[in-house]
Parts: sequence; C-alpha cells; structure tokens
Amino acid sequence: MVRLDTNAREAAELLAAQRLPGIIVVDNEQRPYSVLPASQVVRCLVPSYVQDDPSLARVIDESLADRVADKLAQVTVRQMLPDEPAELPVVNHDDTVLEVAAIMARLRCPLVAVVKDKDIVGAITAPRLLQLVIPH
Amino acid sequence: MTALTVVVFLVAYLLIATEWTHKLLAALGGAAVLLAVGVTDSEHAFYSHETGIDWDVIFLLLGMMIIVGILRRTGVFEYVAIWAAKRAKGSPLRVMILLTLMTALASAFLDNVTTVLLIAPVTLLVCDRLGISPVPFLIAEVMASNIGGTATLIGDPPNIIIASRSGLTFNDFLIHLTPLVVLELIVFVLVLPRLFKGAFAVDEDRVADVLRLNEREAIQDTRLLIKCGAVLLLVFTGFVGHTVLHIEPAVVALLGAGLLVLISKVPTRHYMSSVEWQTLLFFAGLFIMVGALVRTGVIADLAQAVGEVTNGRPLLATMLILVVSAVLSGVVDNIPYVATMSPVVLELTKTVTDPAHGHALWWALAAGADFGGNATAIGASANVVVIGIALRAGHPISFWEFTRKGVVMTAITIAVAAPYLWLRYFVLS
Repeated sequence: MVRLDTNAREAAELLAAQRLPGIIVVDNEQRPYSVLPASQVVRCLVPSYVQDDPSLARVIDESLADRVADKLAQVTVRQMLPDEPAELPVVNHDDTVLEVAAIMARLRCPLVAVVKDKDIVGAITAPRLLQLVIPH
Repeated sequence: MTALTVVVFLVAYLLIATEWTHKLLAALGGAAVLLAVGVTDSEHAFYSHETGIDWDVIFLLLGMMIIVGILRRTGVFEYVAIWAAKRAKGSPLRVMILLTLMTALASAFLDNVTTVLLIAPVTLLVCDRLGISPVPFLIAEVMASNIGGTATLIGDPPNIIIASRSGLTFNDFLIHLTPLVVLELIVFVLVLPRLFKGAFAVDEDRVADVLRLNEREAIQDTRLLIKCGAVLLLVFTGFVGHTVLHIEPAVVALLGAGLLVLISKVPTRHYMSSVEWQTLLFFAGLFIMVGALVRTGVIADLAQAVGEVTNGRPLLATMLILVVSAVLSGVVDNIPYVATMSPVVLELTKTVTDPAHGHALWWALAAGADFGGNATAIGASANVVVIGIALRAGHPISFWEFTRKGVVMTAITIAVAAPYLWLRYFVLS
C-alpha cells in the first residue's frame, strides 16, 4: 500500500521490486482510496508529446530514454490518479472467487483490496486469482 | 421571412462564436429551422451552388483529409522537423526560425490544424531536450501556420470557400497570394527575436541532447512515403493544370485520395478516422444558412450598403474588407465569417469595372480573414488546438499571453498586406 502523498518514484520502485500489477492507495486515515495500476505509472513515464505522436519514441536514443523515470521523483501518487476518483475495487474478506473476478472485470482493474470491517486486510492480484481458478 | 432568416442566422452565429453550444449543433440547428419554416427547401439547399451546400468545398476537404490521414503515417513530417532542429545546431532562435518556416510551408498544403498537430509534439520534444520553455515556439508556429495557409487555395478552409464562390483557381492563389505570404514570412522572421525576447537562452550542454535525436527513425514506412509523394505530385499537377485539364480541385482531391487508398492498402479505419465528419457537416449547415440569406436578398442588401459606404471606390472597399476581416476573424471563427462575406464580395465585384480591382476584393477578404486568425487565442482553430496541447504538456498558455503577441503580429501582417494590395492592384496593374 502507498499513501496519496507518497512520492511516485517510491511507488514505482515498489511495483517494480515486487512485480505487482497495481498497488492500493490509501488516504490519511488508511482507508482505501484507489488502486494505482502499474500501466498508469508506465503511462506517466511517457512524455505527452510521445503519447500524441508515438513515432517520436523511436527518435529518442537510449541514453535519453533512460532518464524518463526522473520525472517520477517530481510527482506524487495523487497526481498520477485521475481527478475524478473511479469506483473503488474493493471486495469483502468472505466474497467468492467469482465475485472477485466480476469486480476485476467490471472495473478493468488488475488488483482489488480485501476489507474486513472497513479495514484493509489484504489484496488479490489478477495473476493470483488465475492461480486459484485454473487448476495446475 | 427575411427577418426570421436574419434572426436565425444571428442566433446560430452567436452560439458558434461564444461556444455556448457545440458549433455543429448551432449550424445544423439553424439550417433545420430555415428548412422547416420554408425559407429554403431541398432544391435550393442541396442542389444550388448559389444558395445551397457548396459540395466543391465539402469534397475538396474530404479528399485532402484522407490524403493527409495517410501521409501522416509515414513520419515524414517528424523527420523533416527533427532534421531542421539538428541543422540549427541547437540554437533556439535558429530552431524557432526553421520550425516556423517549415510550419508555414506545410500549412500551405495541409490544413492548419493538422499542421500544428504534427509540429507541436516535435517542438515539445526539442524544447524538452534543450531545457527551454516551448511556449514561444508553439505560439510562433501556430502564427506561421495561419500565415502560411494563406498562400494556396487549399491552405486554409476560408480560401477554399473563396475560390469556390469567386471562380479563382489554384494558380490564381499562387500568383496573387503566395508572393504576399513570402513577404509576410520574411517580416515575421525578422520580428521573431523582438516578439519573443528572452526565449532563446540555452544551456550549451543540452544542445548535445538534440543532436543525438535520430530523425531517420521517424520514417515508419518508406514505401508508403514514396506512394504518397507520387500521388501528391499528381494531385498538385491536377490543381495547377486546372485550366488545361478542366478538372475541378474537388474532383482532383477525391481522385487522389481514392488512388492513394488503393495503392497504400492502409486499413479503412485508419484513414477514415482522420476525416473530420463534424467539420464537414458544420460546413453544410453553414452553407444552407448563408444560402437562405442569399435567397431572401439580405446578402444583396448588405453588399449594396457596403457599396454605398465606400461610395463606389474599390480601393476603399478593399482596405475596408481587409481591416474589418482581420478584426472580426480575430474574434470569431473565420470560416463562418468568410462563408457569409463571400456572397457579399461577389455582389461587390459585379459593381467594379476593372477586373484587377475585383480580384483585389477577394484577396483582401482572404488575407484579412486568414491573418486575422492570429489576433487572439480563439481567432483560429489551430490556436485553440495548440493551447490545448501546451496545457496537456504542462506548459499552459493564457489567453492574454497569446493575444498580446497575436495582436501585434496581426497588425504587422495587415500593415504589410495593405500596401501590397494597393501597389499591386491599384498602382502597378
């Protein structure tokens, strides 16, 4: 979990170190606020002009490309989230696998927070869900 | 009926100018009301060149949109822009001059909005590498696009409307407006260092970052680039050879688009997504409303009033049209303005005995409407687009920041255009 005012680079390092598809964002009262997908962090790495014109990514050489992560140090997790908070991907501790999958599918979210009595007790990622439903 | 027509038109115009409602809704809504109450009918709205939809304009735009939509995929624009920035060896002033000239040249053949959509990302990249603010560069480029777009028949939608109404050809624009635009760009380049004072300081260490950009990587499909080049050559040959081939520009553009679609094999959804259907429908609604004004005699009355004000003096009429067009185009969209003024100017040309003076009226309308778009942040669609891109990139441009520079630039371009029109059509002709 990270807080809204956590430095974005710190959040990115956590995602990279643990190979997470997303991370739960909590507010100052430790209540779930949102889920920050790893894809959203990756999107923030891409300058707006490359998003507008993807062909420009090819003209930038590696030494310049290596520095794209520098800008993460200047923003917080809050700034990477949409202005209008989306519906929270939250499930109860006693929900079934299908209920968890339905939330993930509807919200297109790779990770959901598990709550019990309004406290976060854990998280379920999409790969973990697939491990449970697909027998080896 | 006349009063109703004027009221409907003014309400629609107000809605378009203020953006209280989407301009497409305003234009189509106004047209629908006029059709419903019988001011105009399907015969006059859909089949008359004088009082209805100008299909030449619609189809010329459609053809060029498809061609440009395919051309964009080649990456040639990005290649040239980065090549230019590297040739400038990272000097911000030289970068600005080269990119603005490139923008002006491209804008003569592509529509202004497409041109700035292509140049803005490259500009942001180069300025990011140099560690300088892109704001002066973006403002200069959008001004250059509005100036450059004046040079040819296809460079700016108002020119397409004027050409269709007046019968002026692609070559007429090349002969009469391109020299003016060349003059304007020379002045523009000379003014840039003063207009954007303080924007050119750079850390020399950052220059190497620009020189390391690899423009060759921007070309995504060399074979497509060759095909586009060949088709564009045919299309412009068709435009220039109009008087010999007798094929209208709209037909040339459609044939070129069709040929390029066939030989490029680009998926349909890719080139059709570049067609701005809303813009084409907006034009249709606008033409129906203006046509209703023609039918009810409002345009003829307006032309007569202008004639009385100018007392039959074509030089005064020319200067009046130039200045009034520049002022109004800075405040409202120049497309509905030109669509409305074109039939007025057509009526005025009928009262002028010297054909050169008649042409001067059209060139004054084109120059005033096109250059006037630079005056304010809302004067042209390209301005609004660039401001949106700058905001997304974290470099907001305020209305007044743009307008402060825009008013100066518009005044300068009109100050150059006025003596040009006077000398060329009233002294030397």
